[in-house]
This record gives sequence, structure tokens and C-alpha cells, in this order.
Amino acid sequence: MELTAQAIFTGVLMGGFYGLVAVGLSLVFGTMKVINLAHGELVLLAAYIAYAVESQTGINPLLALPIAMVIVVGVSLLTFYLTNGIAKDKELNSLILTFGLGIVLTNGLLMVFSADIYSTQTAWFMEGVVVADTLFSMRGEIVAFVVGICALGALYWWLNHTWHGRAIRSVSSNREAAKLMGMNPTKAELWSWGVAGVLATLAGVMLYVISVIHPPIGHGLTIKAFIITVLAGMGSIPGVLIGALMIGVIEGLTTTFFQSSLAGLSSMTLFLLVLLIMPSGLFGKKAGH
Amino acid sequence: MKFLNLSGFIGCALGVALGVGFSGTAHSANFIIGEHTPLSGKLARVGTGSHRGIVTGIKVLNDMYKGKHTFELKTIDDESSPAKAVSAVEKLASEHVVAFSGGYASGVIGPASEAANKAHIPYITFGGVATALSQRGHEGFFRINSAAGYGKAVIGLVEEMGVKSISVVYSNKEATLKMAKYVEKKLTEDGLKISMHEYDSHVQDYKSIVNKIKLRDRPEAIVMIGYESEYVGILRAAKLLKPNVKAMIGVWSLATGKMAKEFPDLMENVYGTAMLPFPVTFTSPKQKLFYDAFKSNFEGEPSYLEQFGYVQTRLLGEAIVRANDKGQLNLKGISDELRKTDEETISGRVRFDEHGDNPEFVQRVGQHQKGKIPLVWPASAKTGEKVFPGTPWN
Amino acid sequence: MNIKVFLLALAFMYLGVPLLLGDNNYLIGMIASALIVAGIAVAWALLGNLGGMVSFGHAAFFGVGAYTSAILTMDYGVPVFVALVLGGIGASLSSIFMMPALRLRGPYFALAILAYAEIFKILATEATGLTGGGGGLLSIPSLPVFAGIDFGTKLGGYIVILNIVTLMVITYFFIRRSSYGLALKAMHDSELATRIVGVPATYLKIVMLVVSAFMTGAVGAFNAHYINFLEPDYAFSGTWTVFPIVAAIFGGYRTLSGPVIGALFIYLIDQLVFKNLLPQGHQLILGVMLTGMIVLSPSGLLPIITNLFTRTRGKQHA
Repeated sequence: MELTAQAIFTGVLMGGFYGLVAVGLSLVFGTMKVINLAHGELVLLAAYIAYAVESQTGINPLLALPIAMVIVVGVSLLTFYLTNGIAKDKELNSLILTFGLGIVLTNGLLMVFSADIYSTQTAWFMEGVVVADTLFSMRGEIVAFVVGICALGALYWWLNHTWHGRAIRSVSSNREAAKLMGMNPTKAELWSWGVAGVLATLAGVMLYVISVIHPPIGHGLTIKAFIITVLAGMGSIPGVLIGALMIGVIEGLTTTFFQSSLAGLSSMTLFLLVLLIMPSGLFGKKAGH
Repeated sequence: MKFLNLSGFIGCALGVALGVGFSGTAHSANFIIGEHTPLSGKLARVGTGSHRGIVTGIKVLNDMYKGKHTFELKTIDDESSPAKAVSAVEKLASEHVVAFSGGYASGVIGPASEAANKAHIPYITFGGVATALSQRGHEGFFRINSAAGYGKAVIGLVEEMGVKSISVVYSNKEATLKMAKYVEKKLTEDGLKISMHEYDSHVQDYKSIVNKIKLRDRPEAIVMIGYESEYVGILRAAKLLKPNVKAMIGVWSLATGKMAKEFPDLMENVYGTAMLPFPVTFTSPKQKLFYDAFKSNFEGEPSYLEQFGYVQTRLLGEAIVRANDKGQLNLKGISDELRKTDEETISGRVRFDEHGDNPEFVQRVGQHQKGKIPLVWPASAKTGEKVFPGTPWN
Repeated sequence: MNIKVFLLALAFMYLGVPLLLGDNNYLIGMIASALIVAGIAVAWALLGNLGGMVSFGHAAFFGVGAYTSAILTMDYGVPVFVALVLGGIGASLSSIFMMPALRLRGPYFALAILAYAEIFKILATEATGLTGGGGGLLSIPSLPVFAGIDFGTKLGGYIVILNIVTLMVITYFFIRRSSYGLALKAMHDSELATRIVGVPATYLKIVMLVVSAFMTGAVGAFNAHYINFLEPDYAFSGTWTVFPIVAAIFGGYRTLSGPVIGALFIYLIDQLVFKNLLPQGHQLILGVMLTGMIVLSPSGLLPIITNLFTRTRGKQHA
């Protein structure tokens, strides 16, 4: 019982973090139908900036957020301009383009930071938090969860209650109609890439305070984000949250009842089952033209 | 073929860039040693460490034979990929290397050393512990370490502690999996209660594993068999959940100066295999020779990777010179000379059996203690007493 | 590309390359490695073009083919060349599990196949008795001596993979020329492969999936006997999916020869040129090149090369 409770607790916390990693990808995917294969690398870039700032100045890595945000949003917008410049076959060609950028980022990080592993030196994040006497977590994980939930909530609000947000939503549901209604789809896409950069920054700094970073892990983050995005259904924020929580919890439960090395098996099986039952994902609209 | 000329030229330029000295005179022989190692990809970190050791070995060889012979190193990044390692070996073979030093991971070393064998060039490594590697009947395959050496150290320590139950947490990769099975078998024979926990290196959360150990297994000690980032994850989870164990024991990549420096609060009282204490006082002439040469090229402190890379390269270089003096600078000549090696090196005694394995290879065990890592096992090599029971959290 | 150019290219690969580079194991091995990527790229493009399905999980077929062939030769003494075919069949059989995913569209299908690849990898890791688990399989038998020729050499391996890829391209050609192929091609000539107008008959999709799986599996089986080593992480590595996709799109995935040319070009330029320019992290240049190429020439590399190629060839003929 105690084990199960802990597994679910950990799974929920991880789920909040996974959602944060996935939501930037989901946003861009929803508006522009572009799969950003460099999304995980953007997250990792933010994590390395947090490391660089912390190791150079000794300040709390959370304070690195502004500088990381400037750089990562910059790279994200650059990716947008490049993808936007693709003359034809955008959906497929953007795969190569973002894959290429991912390679550049991974190898760039390798050259600048070497292949060594890093994690935060700020002990505060590592200290334990005990909930109801039996549930354990690190402060960093709680922070990551809270940041993840807040970011998802804020994004949801922004998409539904602001002009820019609604523009993005209308472009993502019907680009041509949005255009007729006087919106500039390119501008909406630009905004979604910018916001995706902000979200990637948050995810990266959280990654740095709860986990260990080294250059090759970016690709794995992209895959995880992608799985959650598809599970959620095209561009659905609540879907991202629920999908991420499901993945997190099932991983925790598999580790507890079977073994950790099977966690991937159960999350992938869950993913397939959901898709086969609901071919457009949890919150996706019915596929159609 | 323009490509070949170009690549040859750049290869030489690379040699210079890597800090390999050319100090020979017109009459001296110049020996080219080939190296393939992962400088990028998932093994980049260990590959880089190994490479720095090999560069150090070349430097020492050049100093040693100054005025007589020179050594040159040609390195190709194998990107942690078997096919690219084979390509690297073939390319280096066409550039007349006399021997190979390097390689990491059994799956890469296997095909690469096969290619070296086909080209009749000897191959020395420390990067792969699969038993099958040395059982293929290659005359020129040598390795200075063995899985058993690591296993014996862990088992020796556990026996000395006198604990009755152990939980083993291990990665499902080749070397770690085999090591875990070895430890499981030996300790079961000793009558200990063993529980095994396999994880995949992509796992983000180790709390669920450690919690299982804490609540269900309740062992007296935990053995971790993995790599750096995974140790950090496991130890963080353990520090949080505080399972009631007397010791946290790891294998390679753990009792290193780097870990002591990067993660001081996580490492306290944790054990790991090591050859030398940290900070190492390189006092004996042999150690000083290595350390000074290392420091002349690189920043930081050398770890076991650098030490092994250095030792294998120096032994190889000496065997090459001996074979050359006898006019036998070929696979058989160099292999025969390597087989005559029997030396107390900075990584322990090295000699090679008929398979090219080093039966003398034993690891020692160090324990992180307040930023230092004294050796605490075996009794003959001790530089400090172990803190037992002791974990990072008490 | 017309048939004359195809035959010329084929003659060059079969005669020119061995005659020019036959004793250079390094370059021959490099080209063979590129052809392995090319083989997967062709199989991937076939599924994309004719089946209208973009897959992100061809590593699944590659790995299943590799393991099938390795296990059959090691444990059951099946001759290697037979096992190559059986490896393809094994991969085809594994595609049966994926058939429920055929009702998914676009990225949903792509990701579902990726999930299968991931599941197969974990199963291969856990089925220790059969696959050796994470410990992997070392010393997988090399390609044998057959009809007096030792195919275990670099040149022999090159010829075998060249045969495989050539057969694949020819098969692809005939499928595409058949009435189904023509109809399909007409349907989405101007549309994205992921968004075809109307859904092709399910059984046609099934056939394309099985054929693509067979091809990829055979290439995977070849690689196992060529490298003599397998472990789950390697056999099911995402590289076997991503690199061929990039090569196929880069070379022009709508054409027959595009995937092959793309694979040869990207692999060889990365390994022979970029790696010399930047020994560590040379993929960085590859990334920049891919990005630049897409921005500058979004139809892929093929238009440029074909132009050059046909022009120079034309001159030689004149």
C-alpha cells in the first residue's frame, strides 16, 4: 500500500514535469503542424545554460531563467524562421530541418560543455519533502511539478482568453478560415514558437534541478514529448496534462510491481492502446478533412 | 583519390593538434599507433577519458625513447558505433599503424578487433569486459582488465563487511548486466540473500526502485552497478528515502575525484572500485612519470580511465620497441613481446595469458570520506579505514 | 531518372567501384555502410509513397530481421544466405502486430510504429534466453564462402548489400509501375504522402507494410552478419529510423533513386569529409548542411545531382 501510494505520488510529480517538457512541442505541432525534432535539445540547451550560470556565479539556477529564456526563445524563433522559409512539403522537410538543428545543438553542447555529467550544486533542491509521513520527494521535484502545472494552466488561460492565444487557436483549427477572418497566421505561428521557447526554457531549468544532464539525452526528451503530444490529441493542453500524468504513473507502478526496465514497455503499450481505441488521441478532434 | 590524400594530411595535422610530439631524428623509427574511441555519442565521456590516457602514454613513450624512436598517435572518433569503429580500424590499417590502443564497449570492440585481426595488427584495450572477446583465438588481442577483477573487489568487500542480505540495482546494459549476474551468483553461493533490480538507463525516477528495496527487501547493503548519472540518481533517491542499510557500494566510475568534487553531499561514505586513492599522491617514480605527463597536456585530475589508457599504451609501446629491435615489427613479434610483459604498473600487476587476458587484474575499493577517497579494501592496499556502517545520510 | 542512367549507375557500382577501390577495405566498407542506410531508406520511401504512410519506427523491422537471422544461424545452423531471407520474413511477420495501427493517420501512425519499435527493443532486452538480452550477441557468423567467392570479405559484403539494394529498387519500380502503383501515385502526386485524398484500400496498405518490413528486415539481417554483433540498443537504435528518413527526404523520397543517392551522399560526405574537417562533433556540419539544404533546395538533393549527372553523362555520350 505504502509502495503503491509512493509510486503514484512519484508518477504524478514526474507527470507534471513530462507535461512541461511536452507542451511546447504540442503547441507548435498544433498551430503549424510542424514536428520540432529539436525540441528536446532546446530543453537541454536551457538546462546547460542554467548549469553555466550556476557554475560561474554560484547563484540559484532558477535565477538563470531570464538569460536562458532569451537564448532559447531566440533559437526557437530562428527555427521558426527557417521552417517558415521551407517552400514546399513543409511537414516532411521540417523534419529534416529540425533534426539537423537537433544535431547541431547536441554536438555544440558536446563541444562547449564536454561529455561530462552535471547537476545542480544547490542543495536546497535535493532536500526531502515528506507528505503525510509516507510520501517522499525532493524539493526540486515538487518545484518542477508546480512549475509544470502552473505553466500548463497559464498557457490554457492564455490560449482561451487573450487575443494572441485565440489567434493561435483559430489558426490551428483552420488556417484558411483564420486568414479570412483577418488574422495573420504567420504572426500566430511566430507567437506559438516564442511561447514554446519559453516553455522549453522552464522545462530545461527544471530538468537541471531534478536530474542529471549530458549531451545525448535531448533526443529521448523529444521522443517522450512527442508521445505525450500524440497521446493528448493535436494541440490539446488538458490532453497533455492527462497524458503526461498517465505516463508518469504507469512508469511508477510498473517499477514497483514488476521492474524498472519494463517501465518503457508499459508506457508504450498504454500509448498504443489509447491510440487504437481513440485514433486521434485523448482529446483530439475526430480526424477529417 | 583526392579524398585519401586529404584525409592523410588531416590525420597528420590531427596528430600534431593532439599534442603528440615529433622529436625523432632522421635515423630513428617512427611508430604509428592507431586509436578508435568514442569522442561523441553515448559513450563520449568514457571515450574521452580513455583517449586522454592514451595521449599521455604516447607522450611518455616519446620522452622515454627520445633520440631513438618516436611514437605518433592517429585517433578516429568511432561515435560509439560498431560500423564506424570498423571503418576507423580499416582506415588506420591502410595508414600503416603498427598496433591499436583503445576502444570502448564490448559490442564496439568485438567487430573492431576482428577487423584489426584481419589486417594482422595487434589490438590492446581495457574498454570491454565480455568474456567472449578473448576467446576468439586472436593472436593479437590483449586487454589489461577483466570483469572478474571488478567482481572480486565488490564480493571481497561485501564478505569482509559480513552482511547477510544485499539488494543489487543494475543497468540492463551489456557490461553492467554481466557484472550483476556475476555478483548475484557468487554472493548466492556465499549464502547471502540477494534481490535484483534491473533498470533501463532512460529511467528518470529511481525513488520507486529504492522504495521497494527499503520497504520490501530490507537488505543490509545496496550494490549499484551502472554509470555516473545513474549512480547520482540512485544515491539521490536513497538519500531521500533513507533505507536502513549499512553501506552503499558501487563499481566503476564512482570512486573518482570528479564525483567527489561534483556531488560531495551525495558521495559521503559510498564505496566504489578504484586503483588509487584520491587525491592521489603520485609519489613513486612510475606514478610521477604518469602524472607529470598527464598534467603537461590536460587539466584536472586523472581517473581510472586515464590510468588504464596510459598503462596499456605504454606497455604496447615498449613491446613495439622490443619487437622492432629484434626485427620483428609485425603481429607475431609485437604479440610475443606483449605476452612477455609482467610488470607492476600504476594500475596493478599486468601480465597476459594465452588469450591475451590479464589474470592478475584486481580492483581495490575506495570509500568517499569528506572529499577524499582512501582505499579501504583489500587489507594489503589500505590507505584508510572504512566507515562502516556508513551511508551518505548517516 | 531514365533507364540508361540507371544502368550506367548500376554498372559503375558493380564494376567501377570494385575495380577502383577493391583493395581499399576502408572505402568499400564505408560504401557498404552507406548502402545499408540506403536499403532502409528505399523501404521507408516505398511505404511512404505507395502506402501513404510515414513511419518513425523502421528500426523495429531492422532489429527483428537482424535478430531473426542471427538466432537462426547461431542456434539452428541455418545457412547465412537463407537466414537473410528468413530475417526479412521475420520482419514481415512482426508487421502483423502493427496492422491495427494502419487505421491511424499521419503522425499518429508514425508514432505508433515508433512505439512498436520501442516495445520490440524492450522485449529483445528481456528475452535473455533467446537474444542474450542486454549482453548482446557476439561472433554472429559472417557471410559465407559461396560458389568459390568469400562473401565474408569487405568486397564480398559490398556486393551482397549492393545486390539487396538493387533488387529492392527493381521491386519498387515494378510495384510502382503496376496499376495499383500508378493509381496511387496519381492520387497523391501533388499532395503530401501523409494526406492522401481518399484512403487506399486497406489490403493495399497491408501489402505495402509487409513488403517494406521484409526489405528492412533483410537489410537488418545483412548488417548482423556484416558487423557480427547485436545488442538490443544497437539493433533497434533510433538511428536506423532517423538517418534513412533524412537520407530519403534529402535525396528526394518520391523518386526511385533519391533515397539511395541521398544515403550515399549524406553518409559519405559526413564520414569522409566532415569527419576530417572536425574530428569530434563533425555531425554539427552535417546538421548545418541538412538545415541549409532544406532552406535552399526543399525538393531535396536529387534535382541538383540529376541535372549535373545527366548533363555530364550526356556529354560523354555525345
